[in-house]
Amino acid sequence: MKRSTTLLALVLASALALPTAMQAQELRVGFTLDALTLDPANHRNRETETIIRNMFDGLVTRDSDMNVVPELAESWTAIDPTTYEFKLRPGVTFHDGSPLTAADVKFSLDRLTKENAMGGQTSPRQSLLGPLKEVVVVDDLTVRLILESAWPILPAMLPFQELVSQAHVEAVGQEGMAEAVNGTGPFKLVEWRKGDSVIMERFDGYYGGATDIAPLGKACVERVIFKVIPENSSRVAALLAGDVHIINSLPTHLVGQVEANPDTTVMAVNGTRTSYIALNNQTGPFADIRVRHALAHAVDRQLIVDKILNGNAALTNGILSPDALGKNKNLPAYEYDVDKAKALLAEAGFPDGLEVTMDVDGANKEIAEAISAVASKGGFQINVVVGEGSMLTTRYRTKGEPIDGQMWLTSWGNGSMDPVGIFVPTHRTADRGNSSGYSNTEVDALLDAANIETDRSKRADLYSQAEAIVNADLPKLYLWVAQDLYGVSTKLTGWRPSPDSRINLHDACLK
Amino acid sequence: MGLGKFIERLLQLIPVLLGVSIIVFVMMLFTPGDPVAIMLGDQHVTEELENALRHDMGLDLPPHQRFFKFLSNALTLDFGLSYYHRQPVWDVIASRLPATIELSLAALVFALVVSIPLGVLAAVHKNSLLDRIATVTSLFGVSLPGFWFGILLIIFFAVNMHWLPVAGRAGFESEVAPITHLLLIDSLLRGRIDAFWDALRHLILPTITLGLPMASILTRVTRASMLDVLNRDYITFAEAKGLSKTKILIKHALKNALIPTVTVAAIETGSLLGGNMVVETVFGWPGLGRLVVESIFVRNYPLIQAAVLFYAVTYVMLNFFADILYTMLNPRVKL
Repeated sequence: MKRSTTLLALVLASALALPTAMQAQELRVGFTLDALTLDPANHRNRETETIIRNMFDGLVTRDSDMNVVPELAESWTAIDPTTYEFKLRPGVTFHDGSPLTAADVKFSLDRLTKENAMGGQTSPRQSLLGPLKEVVVVDDLTVRLILESAWPILPAMLPFQELVSQAHVEAVGQEGMAEAVNGTGPFKLVEWRKGDSVIMERFDGYYGGATDIAPLGKACVERVIFKVIPENSSRVAALLAGDVHIINSLPTHLVGQVEANPDTTVMAVNGTRTSYIALNNQTGPFADIRVRHALAHAVDRQLIVDKILNGNAALTNGILSPDALGKNKNLPAYEYDVDKAKALLAEAGFPDGLEVTMDVDGANKEIAEAISAVASKGGFQINVVVGEGSMLTTRYRTKGEPIDGQMWLTSWGNGSMDPVGIFVPTHRTADRGNSSGYSNTEVDALLDAANIETDRSKRADLYSQAEAIVNADLPKLYLWVAQDLYGVSTKLTGWRPSPDSRINLHDACLK
Repeated sequence: MGLGKFIERLLQLIPVLLGVSIIVFVMMLFTPGDPVAIMLGDQHVTEELENALRHDMGLDLPPHQRFFKFLSNALTLDFGLSYYHRQPVWDVIASRLPATIELSLAALVFALVVSIPLGVLAAVHKNSLLDRIATVTSLFGVSLPGFWFGILLIIFFAVNMHWLPVAGRAGFESEVAPITHLLLIDSLLRGRIDAFWDALRHLILPTITLGLPMASILTRVTRASMLDVLNRDYITFAEAKGLSKTKILIKHALKNALIPTVTVAAIETGSLLGGNMVVETVFGWPGLGRLVVESIFVRNYPLIQAAVLFYAVTYVMLNFFADILYTMLNPRVKL
């Protein structure tokens, strides 16, 4: 009797006692999605990249102000507009101890850009390297990147690519690369529990990290775990319960709970996703520019930002976010003016107002309904219809074919943080993200010219001009750029969110 | 009985699987949504890359060719590459299957352990307080949306009381070399009590959420069936013979009363496998249900087709198993 009671007591004690010392050195992130793969070249998914970026470094990276800074490359120069030379940092090793050489750089970049270079598959990240034609090994620590044509944004696009070890890839094979990690990053893989978590531990042989981002040296925490918790409420609950220390994608309506909890707080960063209402410029009521302008005057955007988004968004009058290159700071705003809206509608032939249908996906339903409520005073009766994201994409992003719909509340993310990633797809004639059927040859010409312009300020000017024209045409109602919200534990130090959605934990510490 | 009937059932599988494959394929063909566009989302891509990806996924072939390619490969258990993960579908599904099996088994055990005694007692003490409580609780259990109930459990037991974890299957320390891939069993087999306890703590809330509707249904079925059995002549005869109530219950009534329960349980288990998508999402449980729903949203056709085939096989096997159980319990019925 006594023995079993003791045993029971021991079991209970071991179960209830949390090894707190160990816990303090384990940083847990409550994350929305699992990594699709751990092969840096075989995915096109931001969440996967966020996880992978802790285990793999690239030639260059971005600091928290989004400047491109050296990482595995010590320096680089543009020898001519189509040739860039990168000097590698000496003394860098992969997790297995083998040294990083220029041959690995060539191998990694070839793998990313050549057709069928990954066991018969082409890397989905190929177009991120644009006109990269060839990579030449000059010596053990020097590579040259040769472009087919001038591409001024090459350094800005390189942070998206990570370097792999040629020997490792050849050893594990294409399929093995999905799970076997051998990078140069501050953390190395311990285990990938699919669908559940990615477990990494500190790589003690880390070279120190990007020299422009302090502090240098090994990572602060011993272990990092990305826990996959797709459901918003559960993810927030995990933060409140102390199960995780950082969560991403904190929904605005749960901000209050996280702030109210004494052990957690909210961190916000300017996002890169522009929200807008795509209007059908080809057929229907919005083909008339006066109706589009009327809508702009009928929606009080600031009110919606204040009331529904808790002020966590910046208004924008164009597709580019307020901090973007080429942002036209002098774009006239269409002020909230109910009478003007009604007058314009009357002029366009709708003196008694206009009834239209707005499509939206489930996540943005609340905002759509708010817009509908506000716009009703301006003569618009907007019926909100909720649909599935992929089906709405098919209906509106038609690449020039007729659009089935009138208005679509949606957004476009700009992960590359260069105008070419957002302006061109959404506004160029028949491009893949042009959900308004908008076509203006002047704008097309400006966008094409900016694509090959090597001078940064001339490029910015071209985009500004294009923004001005688009602002007058108003093919879409431009709303805002929402902030990305993160919930963090008060025990966390040394980490700030960044606009490119990275969660780099090299410098993160737990008190 | 055994082998001949089993083979007959296996052969019956073939038209079922074929029919299911065709239906799913046709449905997906007519569902709008382009997997390549979805995968690339808002990213900047060239036309060449889009075409290369489309070719990698085999989407540049005409539909009937795609279907026959899928069928012929499926015969060798090669389900192709998952569009989204760009890894073999078989590997992706296999890695997520044990979690769903563990959760479903746990929910089944929970449902049976709760419903059978409760149903029996409710029937034996008909119209008592216990009976009424059981009936009302069953009603709640079947009506409560799992999504909402699961989050309530999380808020109370995890966030407020800190007794149980919020999400996931196990903590980092609970690493055991897999034998059956079911954490509870493996941790015991490896002698790791700490890992067992950790896995159990993670399993409790999702199991209750998933098992509650089934427990409610089974309680009512057991109660009704028991009531029916207790009214039968042979029970009255046994009572007249002077046998004790308990003996009558266990030796004579229970076996017969359990027949409907067992049949319903076997069929409901199939829906457990498919329907635990909600529970897996709420609790971050790394199972197959969540994977399948995610795949539907991104039009990951190869994975969806393979998963549907798997569900079809499971259903057919479960039905067969139910039939066997039925004959074991009721010898008058032959397969």
